[in-house]
Amino acid sequence: MKDIYELLNDTNIDDTEFEEIEANELEKANLKRTLKQSISKKKSLKRWKKDIAAASIIIILSFTTFGIAFPTYASNLPVIGDIFRYLSKEDPGSSLYDNYQEYSSQINMTEESNGIKITIKDAIYDGNTVSLTYSIESERDLGYNSMIRSPSIIGSNGSSGSSKISRVDANHYVGIDHTTGYDMKEQEQVKINWDINSILIQETLEEVKGNWNFNFTLKATESKEQLINHSTEQNGVKVTIVNMSITPMSFVIHYDQEVSEMVRTKWHAVDVYLDIKDDLGNSYSGKGNGGTGTDDYNMSWSKTFQKLDSQSTKLIVTPLITLRSYTSENHGSVLMSRDGESKKIPIPKKSGKGQEGFALPDIIIDLKK
Amino acid sequence: MKCNESNFIRRLQRQKEDALEFIVDTYLPLIKCVTYKVLSPLNNHGVIEECINDIFLSIWNNSNKFSGDITDFRKWICAIAKFKSIDYYRKARKEMVFPSDYMDMNAVRSAEDELIMLEDRTELIALINQLEPMDRDIFILKYFLGLNTNEISTRLGITPAAIDNRIYRGKKKLNNNATNLMLGESGT
Repeated sequence: MKDIYELLNDTNIDDTEFEEIEANELEKANLKRTLKQSISKKKSLKRWKKDIAAASIIIILSFTTFGIAFPTYASNLPVIGDIFRYLSKEDPGSSLYDNYQEYSSQINMTEESNGIKITIKDAIYDGNTVSLTYSIESERDLGYNSMIRSPSIIGSNGSSGSSKISRVDANHYVGIDHTTGYDMKEQEQVKINWDINSILIQETLEEVKGNWNFNFTLKATESKEQLINHSTEQNGVKVTIVNMSITPMSFVIHYDQEVSEMVRTKWHAVDVYLDIKDDLGNSYSGKGNGGTGTDDYNMSWSKTFQKLDSQSTKLIVTPLITLRSYTSENHGSVLMSRDGESKKIPIPKKSGKGQEGFALPDIIIDLKK
Repeated sequence: MKCNESNFIRRLQRQKEDALEFIVDTYLPLIKCVTYKVLSPLNNHGVIEECINDIFLSIWNNSNKFSGDITDFRKWICAIAKFKSIDYYRKARKEMVFPSDYMDMNAVRSAEDELIMLEDRTELIALINQLEPMDRDIFILKYFLGLNTNEISTRLGITPAAIDNRIYRGKKKLNNNATNLMLGESGT
């Protein structure tokens, strides 16, 4: 006898009458979680095998990747599998982090304090920048714009970075953090210390105190360095591409900008934006990692771009320059001294008004195979 | 090994969880459309969500009963989705509280409605299996998937009159057979 599912298999239904209604990542993730819970109830007999497999994976990982401290491990927390991708979706057009999940290491460390659970999900170190994703489970509402201080890279001399926390619902949040260290002693691996003392709710400026402390070590993904040292110059602005490193999920360009005396006397700020295409017509989106320099004009920057098309042989870099002037509306700066005193710096008078932009001649990079 | 278009059915039948994730990623937009079409008049988001869960779970639990390629699979899960959605719709309507004016309308249910509303539908399936293949198709299209006579007629290439005729005779046959079953006991 055939049951309904077999009968439906024989029925020729017209499936073209149905269109598709878009489903977002969150819906899919929720559905998957519910389904897996229902399935695992059924498969409870087989469960012990899985547990042992999961445990052995964690043990192997812990010997190879992380060395220091081990807070509790959480396994069933994930609301969203690929936070890298989920958060970059909020940024339309950005596919920079599409390949990150694949190459990142699972950390799954959880710390709980003051009714708030923070779990580091995945982390990746590309030899330049540490990117990590985390989820927050909180009994109380943390608002739409909460903030956590960035982790520090042990052995680096200062760092820069960016982070973002996105609200899933009142009790769940996911976040991403990118931290770039400078003057690092070792490039092959980094030790991360993330000591969180508070979460800042920006709407109310309330600080939720607690103590979440994470320590772990990350190995760099394999990467290929290529020295470039190509410069391009026009109108008193010089941009030098120093080198690039290519990893399986991204590539990083290090570049310097130099601004002539003539431009300095006229403009308050000079911004450089790198537009990158390859010989196949792909255009690459990227994200600046911050930079260091002797003053605002002469800086060394690095910028991470999305995965390189393996077929391409050349990169065409067009530096786009914006010259800007500061007014009291769009700019203010403060000098802070060591003992906490701060002094407002007046905006120096310069002749340039508004902003001007131009493109420097292209730099062509031949990719080494 | 990763799940892709060419191997997901096999992996699903072997109960690999990544195949379940794959069908959620691939087919959720389609399944959503099917359920929304049927269930949106209820204005109850909870029911829709529950129904979608149930659909995917049924696909998972019954994957071994499927045979065919990826086009057939799409049709199969559409059929399951529609059948489940209609099922949920009927159940939800049944549970709705009607003002007393409407009580009479609600009380009159045709024999086939009664049959379909059986909690345990094994008996009904057993009955439907006794029909000829053509009648079986007509009954499934009409009562499980909610198609009307004209739609069935274009699908199967026979006249609406012939369909009505077959339904009439089929019902009669089912009715005879159903009275022989011990309803509610033999199904388990």
